[in-house]
Amino acid sequence: MFKKILIPVSSEFYTKEILQRGVFLAEKFKSKTDIVYIIEEKTLDQTDKQSDAFRTHYEIEDTKKEIVGTQKQKADNIIFEDARTIYKEKGLTVEDKTAEGQFSTVIKKEIKNNNYDLILMGYNKQCNLNYRLLDDMDIPIWLESEKQGDSILAVCSNLAPNQKVPDLSMKLAKLLNWNLNMLYVIDMQDNVEVDRQGNRSGKKSENDLKDNGINFQKEMKQKNINVEIVKGNLEKQTFKKAKDLGANLVIIGREKKQKGTLGLPVKNIKRKIAGKCKYSILFIN
Amino acid sequence: MNNKNEKNKINISFSKKKLLFITLSFFVIAIFTITAYYDYTPSGLSIKGQVMIGILLMAGILWVTEAIPLAVTGLLIMIMQPLLGIMPAEEVFSSFGNEAVFFLIGAFILASAIEKHGIHKRIALKFLSFFEKTPKLFTFGIMIACACLSFVMPEHGVAALFLPIITSILIAMKIIPKQSNFGKVSMLSVAYGCSIGSLGTLIGGARNPLTIGFLSNLDPPIVVSFFEWMIIAMPVVLISLPLVWIVLQFSFPIKIKDISLAKKEISNQVKKQGRIGQKQITVSIIFVLTLFLWVFFSNYTYFGLAGIALLGGILLFITGSLNWKDVEQRLPWGIILLYGGAVTLGIGILETGAADWIAKAIFTSIGANIYLSILALIIFTILLTNIMSNTGAVALLLPIGLAISTEIAGITPLLASMIIALSGGLAFMLVIATPGNAITYSSGYYSTRDLFKAGFIANIICIAIVFSVAIIYWIGILNL
Repeated sequence: MFKKILIPVSSEFYTKEILQRGVFLAEKFKSKTDIVYIIEEKTLDQTDKQSDAFRTHYEIEDTKKEIVGTQKQKADNIIFEDARTIYKEKGLTVEDKTAEGQFSTVIKKEIKNNNYDLILMGYNKQCNLNYRLLDDMDIPIWLESEKQGDSILAVCSNLAPNQKVPDLSMKLAKLLNWNLNMLYVIDMQDNVEVDRQGNRSGKKSENDLKDNGINFQKEMKQKNINVEIVKGNLEKQTFKKAKDLGANLVIIGREKKQKGTLGLPVKNIKRKIAGKCKYSILFIN
Repeated sequence: MNNKNEKNKINISFSKKKLLFITLSFFVIAIFTITAYYDYTPSGLSIKGQVMIGILLMAGILWVTEAIPLAVTGLLIMIMQPLLGIMPAEEVFSSFGNEAVFFLIGAFILASAIEKHGIHKRIALKFLSFFEKTPKLFTFGIMIACACLSFVMPEHGVAALFLPIITSILIAMKIIPKQSNFGKVSMLSVAYGCSIGSLGTLIGGARNPLTIGFLSNLDPPIVVSFFEWMIIAMPVVLISLPLVWIVLQFSFPIKIKDISLAKKEISNQVKKQGRIGQKQITVSIIFVLTLFLWVFFSNYTYFGLAGIALLGGILLFITGSLNWKDVEQRLPWGIILLYGGAVTLGIGILETGAADWIAKAIFTSIGANIYLSILALIIFTILLTNIMSNTGAVALLLPIGLAISTEIAGITPLLASMIIALSGGLAFMLVIATPGNAITYSSGYYSTRDLFKAGFIANIICIAIVFSVAIIYWIGILNL
């Protein structure tokens, strides 16, 4: 399923849990894993800017070199060594490299040049993540959280095509041997229907949306999956259900929510979910 | 291609932001100037005074937002004054002839030699080796070492020196960034140690020579020698260092017990340094001699701080310890230009009566209680220095502080200046507050939240320290 996994680690944020999750997935899916340690450009620029009047160009460059040097040393001696040890214990190998630049830009470049089929990363607001990345990527992005549970929560809604999420969550639940729970949210804040191609319809009545939800529920029933239908804000319902279940992983699809309660455009929904959800999330586009 | 476009987009949006701040600053100065020349001035404020307040606000906006480099704002201040009829050009540019400017140049030349020959690294490692008993003591050692080196060279240079040393030690100890309290305390000790140490002598921070430059421009001039500065400032340093260290220990309790890997790494680094060379001995002798002369002879009229600094610098060239390329590489002319702008700003504000008007306006609202005024001055300076360049903050506040000293009995110009200069170095809360914070933050060992958490408490403690020292020591004992 996931043959090649990319684990980007920001110089701003590192947690050993990400490697443990990486080795777990690599073992289950017999995947190859690459780790790229990204020295965040923003941190280097901040040091530059602060030193502007006080230090010469030569000194600033010198310090920048020192920072890059120590970051590489840190990656080699702590992160890559941790990875090698953890993977070796399971009889697996891991490739590593270091890159300088903006977190999201480096990830995009790596995806372009290699045929990865999963991005696995630790999430923290300290990583200078450009949230458009969550929408731009064709491959799934797994944001690992330290919170552990024992089930998968797959989220479908009137705002998504609901094609990939059911299929992928079923496969994943089977392979990982985790319980699968599926939620269908009827989000009345944005009462439209998103079709299989990802196009938004015009406004629909609550009954129409409910009917679609019931149809989806029936469709899933044939595949032996129970779907719980709830009405309310997509993000809030997701958080609530994840908490109730103590979910190990929340799977989110191509949600296309555009309007808030006052009719104003809302910020990237995935950003909101990534920022607030305490459980691991798998974004599938 | 996409990456380039993305970067360009970021740059364009960033430029727009800068342009907005530049426009705002010019709008402010235009409003103040036009209203002043049409006689819309508040009572007690002269036309020139109102224009000067406009220039002060313009400088404040540009220094806080850094829409243009700090030094360029300094130049802008200098050209605005003759342009708007505040002061003749000759008078404005003559402020560059100030002794403190040449003291700064000399001090930077000496620091260049120390850096070039790696003497600072030797001293740093030696210091650290005295504290490798326990992890807690080791972090105290970092703080002491940074503070002591910041007595003799610019604080940013010290932070840049300690970054690789401490990172190598932490890596050798397998300390995980942001997760280990030992890592957090070690890096924060570098940042705070440098900031606190820079208060102790005239060399640590450029705001210290700026302060004595301001004082020497007063009528009658107030001359503060190298030794006198130390006598005044050192108690704040000596009290702050252990207390801020305790704040760090409480904020991030250190759990690890073993320091043997750090010990090993320090000894490796000492070995890498090799034996001390001839040039290093020469530079050390010249530096110690210069320090000796600064401490004991800098108040001689015909010698002075700048004379001694330049003498030390020239000796370095004569002995072949330094060449001009080294100086070009390490002398930050930006700070000299910033200094020039800051001094002329201060002179303009004082001479046009703008400072008096601001001081009166402040005291009409908060009253003229000496203790409240001192406390307000400390708090305001610390808040300002946390959101902008330390030197810029001190430059903006010094003229106002000096005016306050003429309004309130018990506050002398020297007292007000020392309060502002020392509080101006206590930038603990934000990464953007000082290069030392930004440099150590780049190590990845602490988060912005960690810095704020420890910095907020440390700043409160330091407010209490500066206030107590001001009341008990400066006013009570030194009669400042």
